[in-house]
Amino acid sequence: MEYDTLVIGSGISGMESAIKLGDMGYRVLLVEKEASIGGKMILLSKVFPTLDCASCISTPKMAAAIHHPNVTALTYAEVEKIRKLDGRFQVEVVKHPRFVDEAACTGCQQCETACTVSVPDQFNSDLVARHAAYIPFPQAVPKKAVLERAGTSPCTETCPAGVKAHGYVSLARSGEYEKAFQLVLQSTPLVGTLGRACFAPCESECSRGSLEGPVSIRRIKRYIADDHYDAHRRLQALPEITHTERVAIVGSGPAGLTAAWQLARKGYPVTIFEAEDQAGGALWTIPAYRLPSAVIGQDLDNLRQIGVSIRTNTPVHRIEDLFDQGFSAIVLAVGTTSPVQLLVAGAHASHVDNALHFLKAVKTGVGTRLEGMTVAVVGGGNVAIDSARSALRLGARVVRLISLESREAMPAFSWEVEEAEQEGVFVLNGWGVESIGESELHLMGCDATLDREGRFDPQYDRTRVQSVPADRVIVAAGMRPATEAWQSTLTLAGGGRIAVESESQATSWPGVFAAGDAVSGPTSIAEAAGAGKKAAEAVEAWLSASAFSPGPMRLPRVSQEEVLARQSQYALRPPRGGNKALVLHPHDFTEVEPALTESEVRDNSGRCLDCGVCSECQECVAACPADAIHLDAREERFETTVDSVIIATGFKLFAADRKPLYGFGRFKNVITGMQMDRLLAPTRPYHTVLRPGDGKVPESIAYIMCTGSRDQTVGNPLCSKICCMYSNKQNQLIMGALPLADVTVYDIDMRTTGKGYEEFYVQTRAMGTTFIKGRIAEIVEKDNGNLVVRYEDIDHGGQILEQEHDLVVLAVGVQPNHDVERFFEPGVLEFDDYAYVNEADEILSPGQTNVPGVYVAGTAAGAKDIPESILHAGSAVAQASAYIEGRRLPV
Amino acid sequence: MMSGRRDVREIIREEPIHRREIQTALTDGGKTVPELAALLGYSSEELVYWVMGMRKYGFLTELPDVTEDGYYRYQVGPRGAI
Repeated sequence: MEYDTLVIGSGISGMESAIKLGDMGYRVLLVEKEASIGGKMILLSKVFPTLDCASCISTPKMAAAIHHPNVTALTYAEVEKIRKLDGRFQVEVVKHPRFVDEAACTGCQQCETACTVSVPDQFNSDLVARHAAYIPFPQAVPKKAVLERAGTSPCTETCPAGVKAHGYVSLARSGEYEKAFQLVLQSTPLVGTLGRACFAPCESECSRGSLEGPVSIRRIKRYIADDHYDAHRRLQALPEITHTERVAIVGSGPAGLTAAWQLARKGYPVTIFEAEDQAGGALWTIPAYRLPSAVIGQDLDNLRQIGVSIRTNTPVHRIEDLFDQGFSAIVLAVGTTSPVQLLVAGAHASHVDNALHFLKAVKTGVGTRLEGMTVAVVGGGNVAIDSARSALRLGARVVRLISLESREAMPAFSWEVEEAEQEGVFVLNGWGVESIGESELHLMGCDATLDREGRFDPQYDRTRVQSVPADRVIVAAGMRPATEAWQSTLTLAGGGRIAVESESQATSWPGVFAAGDAVSGPTSIAEAAGAGKKAAEAVEAWLSASAFSPGPMRLPRVSQEEVLARQSQYALRPPRGGNKALVLHPHDFTEVEPALTESEVRDNSGRCLDCGVCSECQECVAACPADAIHLDAREERFETTVDSVIIATGFKLFAADRKPLYGFGRFKNVITGMQMDRLLAPTRPYHTVLRPGDGKVPESIAYIMCTGSRDQTVGNPLCSKICCMYSNKQNQLIMGALPLADVTVYDIDMRTTGKGYEEFYVQTRAMGTTFIKGRIAEIVEKDNGNLVVRYEDIDHGGQILEQEHDLVVLAVGVQPNHDVERFFEPGVLEFDDYAYVNEADEILSPGQTNVPGVYVAGTAAGAKDIPESILHAGSAVAQASAYIEGRRLPV
Repeated sequence: MMSGRRDVREIIREEPIHRREIQTALTDGGKTVPELAALLGYSSEELVYWVMGMRKYGFLTELPDVTEDGYYRYQVGPRGAI
């Protein structure tokens, strides 16, 4: 689609330009970066000097612009680049995703009401919250919701299980613990398990970690799991069986359970085959001090509640048997259940056990006591740590952990090693086992464990030896899948791992998929769960004969720098919640990590920085009656060609904190003129005019004029033209809203240069506003929030006086909008000395820039009030039209 | 890292965690912002952000009359208690 004119910005000048050009028959592309057209005018209370309602006179313009047959209005879109090409203009536009289907959205605001993330409302000058899902303001055109999404939050992006960590934290922050539980269930049934035994990569990536420490994301999950299970809640909305194809899952560790869970929720009849006498796989090797058995049982019950059949003591030796039984697809998730044996003398002695057997026996209550024994655990990974700490709890007098690796290179998490040492485990690094005697281990030095390519290849130093006593030896030297039975029917990779196509998880046998540690080797619960989820998606695609796509693509991760830059400062709030109860030589398997209290959960979740802004909690999706939320929407880019361009990007308000003398940002009852306009508007942030410091109805209000205008100290010698009149307007409105309030204006002079303006000013005075010609020397905030204004009273001899007010309003001025500078290559479009778009002949050809075909309308060229902006837009329109017609005339 | 007032974004972000306690504080009758501040131990300024945010989304509503001190009282809103 080609257009005659591009209009950038949809404030009053942009709308006027677009409508007028459209009326003249030109095709117009109107691009607005906000989610609604209307600019600043629609946010005003009333307009001077007529005191017409700003909404009432803006909304017809907005409707005319959006519905004009010749105007294509793009909201939530930006012009990226403009290049002049053969006398025309090539324009690059990016349309930001609303994540809402504009055609389906009815503007009902139910998504906004349900949203769990609160941010400052820029359309109310940050005086009140809005939600991440929002409609800009009540008169928005189009009245369609938008989800503010800066990207994927690091915690969510990094979760191997695909759990929306930010989502459940934001739900917990709102006290919606059951909804938070249900959100985790969307990824995996292992909510309680992951709440305790996950290694929490989410916390490692938490942006709060660079402040005073990460949000305790995992422990919040533990709380919401306990909250659900303690209340004996049953899962609702059990899925109906909607497919006839039966799916077999072989293995019931985290990968198998999650694959089964996902497929059952999608309506497939699922049967899990477990070789052992109880489901859970590797979960039963995690000691109870980290993961109580009851929690595993609760998580497993989730599957039973939705109808997953679990057949224990049922090993699968022949895959074809499952097809013979009528299963249409199979997921192999058998984990790594074969321990790697030490190839040293004495490895098969009766006092030598493998760690998996040992840990499972302990967990299921059949482990022997180790009172008074000296125990050696061989290995440097987390299983070795679990074994060593379990041995202590079984009464071992001395527990040594023999690690080939140096301390830094140990596969175990560093905190696990530290906790083991705090409990009394002795860690010996850089030692390998040379042989195992009846009551001792003979060790030899190990200088390195990996070769140059990173492959396991320990380099021993046999000149460095020692022996350590050992009544019992527990070997945790690695694990591999028990896949020998399938080696003739499936393609296996090294170490007995099942070979799969990396994206689809498909094995060499059509209809057979594999997931988890049986494919990747030993990983974590979260990683295995994620693999199970992915395998389920692949099975579903295979059964439905559709192309496999690995789940919805996430938005790019939000950078920590971007997140931290959103605030000028942070209040440090160290995470609350008891530390692990670590004692020397513990004697039982009581959980070492205390649960968070509800207060601690609220406090912790309140520390979340909402990195992605939208938390992906899915509440909007559930609330939307029109099914209009589309989180998979992405930005769209396109190019078009136009004959002319009108720049109507408006102005920026002066940032009042650049005048520290006036205390904006430091004193809670110092606000800007735009904030007061919002307080006076029908769609105001409060229910009336209140001061923001304590909600009091102000009785004495001061206006300080020329804030950021006519002020060389802030680099702006220009008069902003509108401040005097909008202050007069507000004064009159305040006297209507708060008849008892006193209003005092501190000004240099009053500039009332428009038709009826001087009369309006006189009327303001007559209504009771006090005007003091005086410069402000200082503002001091009192304990009660009142503000003492110290000023030079010019009309009374320049004496220095003080006056106390409830509220101070800074009549902030107009500044150029620098956004326009990036549209063209540097040097193409000229700007004046004050950084406004330069008008080549401001007097005779207002609106004409130095680039033929490019025009400027309204305050992008300098301060103007509304009537002037509309007039200026008319000039720009006329010139754009003349330019277009001139090009069309035969040469 | 922190001086004086907290960042508005930070205050507003925390509003959801205070909803229940603010509503609970109002169960025995409407209260002004300073009364809530004294009861709950938060600053009046931060409570204004939370109260107005809750009011915007129906968790609170204002009572019609202003007190002698110039404050409105707030009560649990049409959305009901959390």
